[in-house]
Amino acid sequence: MITITDLEKYYATEEVRTVALNKLSFTVNEGEFVAIMGPSGCGKSTLLNILGLLDDPDGGSFLFNGIEVAGFNERKRADLRKHNIGFVFQSFNLIDELTVFENVELPLIYTGVKTAERKQRVEEVLEKMQIMHRRKHFPQQLSGGQQQRVAVARAVVNKPKLILADEPTGNLDSSNGNEVMDLLTELNAAGTTIIMVTHSEHDAKYSHRIIRMLDGQKVTENILSDYKSKVEV
Amino acid sequence: MIRNYIKIAWRNLWKSKGYSALNIFGLAIGITCAALIFLWVEDELNYNTYFADSELIYEVPSNQEYDGEWRTFKQATPGPLAADLKRNVPGIDFTSRVRESGFLLNANDKSINKTGSYVDPEYLNIFKFDFLEGDASTALKDIKSIVITRTMADQLFGEDVHVLGESIKLNNQEIFKITGVVADLPPNVTYDFDCLLPFRNFEVDNPWTKEYGANFANTFVKLAPNSDFETVDQGVRDFVMNKFGEDDSVFFLHAMKDWHLRGTESYENGEPAGGRILYVRLFTVVALFILLIACINFMNLSTARSEKRANEVGVRKALGSDKRSLINQFITEAVMTTAIASLFSIAFITILLPFYNTLIEKQLTIGWDNPMHIIGLVVITLGLGILAGLYPAFYLSSFKPVDVLKGVRTTSGSASFIRKGLVIGQFAISIVFIICTFTVYEQIQYVKGRDLGYNKENLLRVPVNGDIVKNFEPIQQELLAGNQIKNIALCDSQILNGGNNGSGLTWQGGNDTENILVSYRHVSNDFFQTVGIKLIDGRPFSTDIAKDSTSAIISETFARLMGEGSAVGKKINRWGDDFTVIAVAEDYLYGDMYGTSDPVLFLNAPDQARFLYLRFPREADVTAALHQIEQTLTKYNPAFPLEYEFVDAGFDAQFKSENLVGKLSQIFALIAVIISCLGLFGLSAYTAEQRRKEIGVRKVLGSSVTNIVKLLSRDFLKLVLISVIIAIPVGYFLMDNWLQDYAYRIEFNFWIFLFAAVIALAIALLTVSFQAVKAAIANPVNSLKTE
Repeated sequence: MITITDLEKYYATEEVRTVALNKLSFTVNEGEFVAIMGPSGCGKSTLLNILGLLDDPDGGSFLFNGIEVAGFNERKRADLRKHNIGFVFQSFNLIDELTVFENVELPLIYTGVKTAERKQRVEEVLEKMQIMHRRKHFPQQLSGGQQQRVAVARAVVNKPKLILADEPTGNLDSSNGNEVMDLLTELNAAGTTIIMVTHSEHDAKYSHRIIRMLDGQKVTENILSDYKSKVEV
Repeated sequence: MIRNYIKIAWRNLWKSKGYSALNIFGLAIGITCAALIFLWVEDELNYNTYFADSELIYEVPSNQEYDGEWRTFKQATPGPLAADLKRNVPGIDFTSRVRESGFLLNANDKSINKTGSYVDPEYLNIFKFDFLEGDASTALKDIKSIVITRTMADQLFGEDVHVLGESIKLNNQEIFKITGVVADLPPNVTYDFDCLLPFRNFEVDNPWTKEYGANFANTFVKLAPNSDFETVDQGVRDFVMNKFGEDDSVFFLHAMKDWHLRGTESYENGEPAGGRILYVRLFTVVALFILLIACINFMNLSTARSEKRANEVGVRKALGSDKRSLINQFITEAVMTTAIASLFSIAFITILLPFYNTLIEKQLTIGWDNPMHIIGLVVITLGLGILAGLYPAFYLSSFKPVDVLKGVRTTSGSASFIRKGLVIGQFAISIVFIICTFTVYEQIQYVKGRDLGYNKENLLRVPVNGDIVKNFEPIQQELLAGNQIKNIALCDSQILNGGNNGSGLTWQGGNDTENILVSYRHVSNDFFQTVGIKLIDGRPFSTDIAKDSTSAIISETFARLMGEGSAVGKKINRWGDDFTVIAVAEDYLYGDMYGTSDPVLFLNAPDQARFLYLRFPREADVTAALHQIEQTLTKYNPAFPLEYEFVDAGFDAQFKSENLVGKLSQIFALIAVIISCLGLFGLSAYTAEQRRKEIGVRKVLGSSVTNIVKLLSRDFLKLVLISVIIAIPVGYFLMDNWLQDYAYRIEFNFWIFLFAAVIALAIALLTVSFQAVKAAIANPVNSLKTE
């Protein structure tokens, strides 16, 4: 599904040029659950942003479902993003002015789904995440765990092929964290590809494969579960 | 999608109530102010559009050359011109002579003084009045017929009474029959009247009007529907030229649509030069500037607070929103804000309109039945919303999701640069307004304080009618016998205005005098004493009229034209009659209060009088004096009710336009400053909020409250200071230009600029320091804990 080859990204200030990604290459297959780990500043969030088409690489190739997307303009990226990718952030990033229902509904509005179908699909996913009873609440009125469940609901409502999770349990206590990880595992089991950036060894164990990074490069790759048969190493 | 935009816009507005209130209030004041100005502008532009075919109606003014300079006169055409133009110039359908006059109307045991016009029957073909009773085609056929307005009919006969065929006694002499009642004219028509009479009445009393020679009447013409204006206008010019055989007098056509906005009063050297249209343009620009200032508030507060929205922009983009739909969203928010502001402004306009009407002396209405008003408000709302929202929309939607979601600071240098620029712009406009306000005020005060050459205080003017001239001697004796009246005199013109004038005079000591325009006044002997014009050489007229029937008193300007030495004893010939100068009077000002006066020739001929002037002693009891005047005049002139005007009140009325500009510019300057300060208030609150932690740390490290207030205020005051530097040359340029129109004007005063600068800085400081002090006295522990 995703193949990156010699991916490069730099950040430059007036005095220093920092290499965030240094000729990074790997592949993620459809249906896989991959965890990306590494110390702060190793480039994992940068990678996730590029994978999520929020950012452009400075060099290398990025094939998304076989299409080269590295040079896409903003409009094309937005289009690809809204149909294929869901995001889960560490800080949830719900819009404070919208209710739970409206937050989850938002991706469907951007993909042009009709009102009646939107209602049905939002309710479906809220049921599944067990936050239907909170649908009229605003984010500030929810606990962290509940907020992250709303964020997950929002990420999956469009039935994306890929979910990108950036430290999804970073702001949660362990029991809420486990719940979110269980949710992601279920989604993966149902066929969604997941790429997750995390600091937590515990969370990483939910994945099939762990890619460890340092200074913008891949250092090791551990295959944890039997998905390995499908992985091209 | 749009529902989603509106929903989130509403919630955002509600969430930050303070900023929303500032934005909405600022915009509402702006819209209110602009709407009030536009109502005035609309009324001005709609002047003289009441009559059907108003585009075919013209007046005939003339340019006349005196001493190398062209002057424009209106209501000054010879009697036969109207009929001759119709006969000789192709393309003219109707013409009419018009002579305005005051009348005493008596009917149904009621007497009222009214103004009216002697007109030809074709007048009713030129102006299509709404005839409530009678028939326009026959109404003025009979010489003793009279057409009156509905209001006058009501006043004389009672409301809604049919009055056709009723009789009215005119000037206590002849009986006229009512042949028509017309609907009252709206206020925005140049020539108004209470009654119309056939011109032949005036002609019978004044046979000289049948000949060319005296310019005394107005001439109106109506062109044939398909005629070409240029051709007809040239026809009129050519006809008069051939008739007079001289080229120092040009009669031309002046379109009805221009009577009000491009009046011949403002012609310079025979050419149009501004007029009221300048004020219409000026105030339109002012309205647009005020809207702009309100817009800037919105832009600044929106971009300043962008960090609050940055996260939302990031999330929306991550979820698949493209830039365009974000721009749409933010513009929707801006339009919604202006729409709410518009609703408030409707309330404001409704409340303020009566006061505004009093101020500008009009009867404007919101006029919801006029679709243009609704369209206008919608256009203002949408236009303002889009203008205000465009920049914030582009700015906010350009945020990169990667940055904002990671919490990277989003304040970009360019945004804060633009914000500063906009604040400077706002204050520069406000300061220019302040400079204009002071200059206009100073100029008006300066002219009002000008030495007129006579004493306008405690001076009463009474129009002469009936037997006043005949009984002048007993009236004078009786009034002076009481101690309420000090002096009393007769004159044939209003002292404030130009009266009769003419050229073709010759005098001793003058060369080529035929072409000099001389004003002449027919007065009684006590005129100079009464109005307070000083005689600087010679003696006043004798009480014995016969003794001084060939004597003249001249003004200083006239005396200068008679060469070196005393003018007393020199001879003046006016159209064949010789007069001997017996005195020189100080110049006095009349007509154009900003200009200088033509030479004046005073003659001792009280029988020509049209006005009675009465001087009260300084300590007079005005009510008692008026009572005494009324008693005496009723005794000697019983048919006519007393009418009067205080000269100083008439003097003040001369400054109507200037006073209006003065008052309005004061209000607009105030509003501009208020709106700008609202913006500054919001921005300074935002800055204080943003620098809370910094302030906390500084206080912990020992900074005093004063230091922090200084720190926070300094940056804003710098901006206002730059505005001052920009505003001063702009204000100087504008006002210098404005003052050029006045021959008698103030010198530019440095203090005006300094004053404007100090006021702007003081108000800005007050606004900013409110927030700065609030931030500075806050407990640093609280601000540091929130991090």
